[in-house]
Amino acid sequence: MVDVNMTLEMVEASQVGMKAMAAAIAVGATGIAAALAEMSIGSAAVGATAENKDVFGLVLLLTVIPETIVIFGLVVALLLIF
Amino acid sequence: MLNPEQMSRLLIAATRDQMGPVIAELYRHNLFHIEDYVEASAEGYDGFKIGTPLAGASEASGDLVKIRAIQNAFSIRSDDFEVKQRHKQSGLQALIERDLPAIEKEVEELTAQRSRLETTVKEYEQKISELSPFVEVPGDLDLYRGYSNLVVFAGYVVKEVSLSVPHEQFLSKGKGRNFIVIIAPVAHRDVVEGALQQAGYQAVTIPDESGSPQERISSYSSQITLIKKEIEDINRKLDAIKEKHSDFLVACEEILKVQVDQTEAPLRFATTDETFVAEGWVPSQNVASLTQALEKATGGKIFVTELAKGEHDIIPVEYNNPSFARPSQLLIDTYSRPKYTELDPTLMISIVFPLFFGLILGDVGYGALLLVLCLVLRKFIKGEEGQQLLTVLRNASISSIFFGVLYSEFLGFPCPWPALLPSRHLSIGGEGGHGPNIPGLMMVAVWIGILHITIGRVLGMVNHARQDHGAHRTKAILANAGWIFVMWGILIVIWSMVPMPYMPDLTATPEVFMNFNIATVIGAVILVAGVLFIARDSGLELVELPTIISHVLSYTRIVAVGLSSVAIAMVVNFIAIGMLISPQLENITIIGVLFIIMGIAVFLIGHALNMALGILGGGLHSLRLHYVEFFTKFYKGGGKKYNPFGMKRRFTED
Repeated sequence: MVDVNMTLEMVEASQVGMKAMAAAIAVGATGIAAALAEMSIGSAAVGATAENKDVFGLVLLLTVIPETIVIFGLVVALLLIF
Repeated sequence: MLNPEQMSRLLIAATRDQMGPVIAELYRHNLFHIEDYVEASAEGYDGFKIGTPLAGASEASGDLVKIRAIQNAFSIRSDDFEVKQRHKQSGLQALIERDLPAIEKEVEELTAQRSRLETTVKEYEQKISELSPFVEVPGDLDLYRGYSNLVVFAGYVVKEVSLSVPHEQFLSKGKGRNFIVIIAPVAHRDVVEGALQQAGYQAVTIPDESGSPQERISSYSSQITLIKKEIEDINRKLDAIKEKHSDFLVACEEILKVQVDQTEAPLRFATTDETFVAEGWVPSQNVASLTQALEKATGGKIFVTELAKGEHDIIPVEYNNPSFARPSQLLIDTYSRPKYTELDPTLMISIVFPLFFGLILGDVGYGALLLVLCLVLRKFIKGEEGQQLLTVLRNASISSIFFGVLYSEFLGFPCPWPALLPSRHLSIGGEGGHGPNIPGLMMVAVWIGILHITIGRVLGMVNHARQDHGAHRTKAILANAGWIFVMWGILIVIWSMVPMPYMPDLTATPEVFMNFNIATVIGAVILVAGVLFIARDSGLELVELPTIISHVLSYTRIVAVGLSSVAIAMVVNFIAIGMLISPQLENITIIGVLFIIMGIAVFLIGHALNMALGILGGGLHSLRLHYVEFFTKFYKGGGKKYNPFGMKRRFTED
């Protein structure tokens, strides 16, 4: 549906808004995904650390591995905006 | 430097009467990593048995247990203990025999007394909680017992109870449940019980006390206060003992540990009735000096020889790094110690980790704050690992200051000079110019990734060249080269199609066929060659091809995490200064002063939080880039730690 009454300025403004929305979805959705992934890793990591303190360094790393997802989201968002 | 310390396998054989001096000498040098003798699996050791401890082993370990018990009671940890003076071993020996039993007895008595008193306090507290429901009921506690034809019920009910039989009832309403006391003739016990059951009755024990409940409670509480004072007294006495003897205790622990280690060492040797044999590993550069020392200690009555390294020997690994790289060994040990034949990446990580950290945090203000924090914490955190971590962080913070200068950032504000690297300043609140140069920053990060991964693959080729044999060796080396080819092939193809900032532009090269230019064709050929090399080693590996792109892109986190911290800093500045402080400064009123104070609070809390996030983000992400993107290309780890027989004495000397 094309609204014939829109001026050029309005179209441009709405395009900027669309970009911002897309960037927000990119960061928000990937953030949720990373959180979901880290949730189960984190609880397992705490359990493993309780059993054996030596694995702390390793499990800390395993916990941050899903951060890649949200980083990609952030990268996409930055590219969209700038 | 990139290799661990060279090790030699040493065999020591001597007669049994030399065992004492040999063990003492080995312990003193702290160089010999003993290979424990295991009876079942040793070849060529027929007729040998595991040795028995030297004389005095059980006494020393008994004393050690006592000392550790006292140390536990005082929570003294020798690691955290400052060395004040070093004790002479001979003097200490006499002191252990004379003073230790007395100290032990005193500490034991005091701790036993303390735990007795603590139990009494618990008992009294229990009694108070039993008494407290009866406070509401008028009447002494004597009235609850001693009847022959009356029965007393006391307890909690959910709802009120109404009885048709003659009785006395008291009900105090509480939250969710009510306390009830009923006194009725014995003849009506069944009726009362039935009614109570319907009201959800839960009996409580009637305290075996006399007098008014309130008085009893206050008497118990005053007794508890008295006992708590006594406990404090005992704690003070224990503290005094701790103050007086802790120096002695850590020294004793050390000396007894030395004795236990030495007297129990024969359990790791192979022995016959007359002789013993010990095998182990020594850094190659120390073989000559250790051999000489042993010969001197035994008067030449010893046989020491260097054995050839076997194919399947698990050789202990000791790092061999220049002193500036040594703290980074902590980061490698967190992952896994390198194998003996593997390249040791400590030197790489000690240089690249601070660089990544600086690229991410890159802010003069945060860097300086972190540097001060590290220098202050060094005074408080004892223990080797803590110190190593602080040194790593210190290097990282210096690198942050350096990159902060290049980025021209100070707590999110721009510095007076222009940024030498692509700018990271955002335009928040309509200020800050044209915004960050995101494509430029991204390309820098991607370049870092490409170089880091290429180095990783080259190191992988070296590792395969050292560890593998035969046809597999060539294939594995070529496969690693193949990964490099594929990555650079993809890059050349991309460059030949799209012009990008900070990247070579190959779009203008002459066309060869079907709109493809020569660079595209060259890139594609390299790519295909790389894929073939990988496939020759293992076809399954081809599944991993997309990781080339995802690993390189993963380095863009350097930009993303860094920018997010810049953004938080700028937002904090904008809220604190732009929105709260500066509008009020134009026209100062009383409410305005409140706003200014609020602004300062936002500024301080915001930057403290952002700095904590920056350290966590900068540190973890730099580490992750090493562990996941870099190490997977060449590093496996799983080496055995070099753990020489002996220890560095801190509190005692011969």
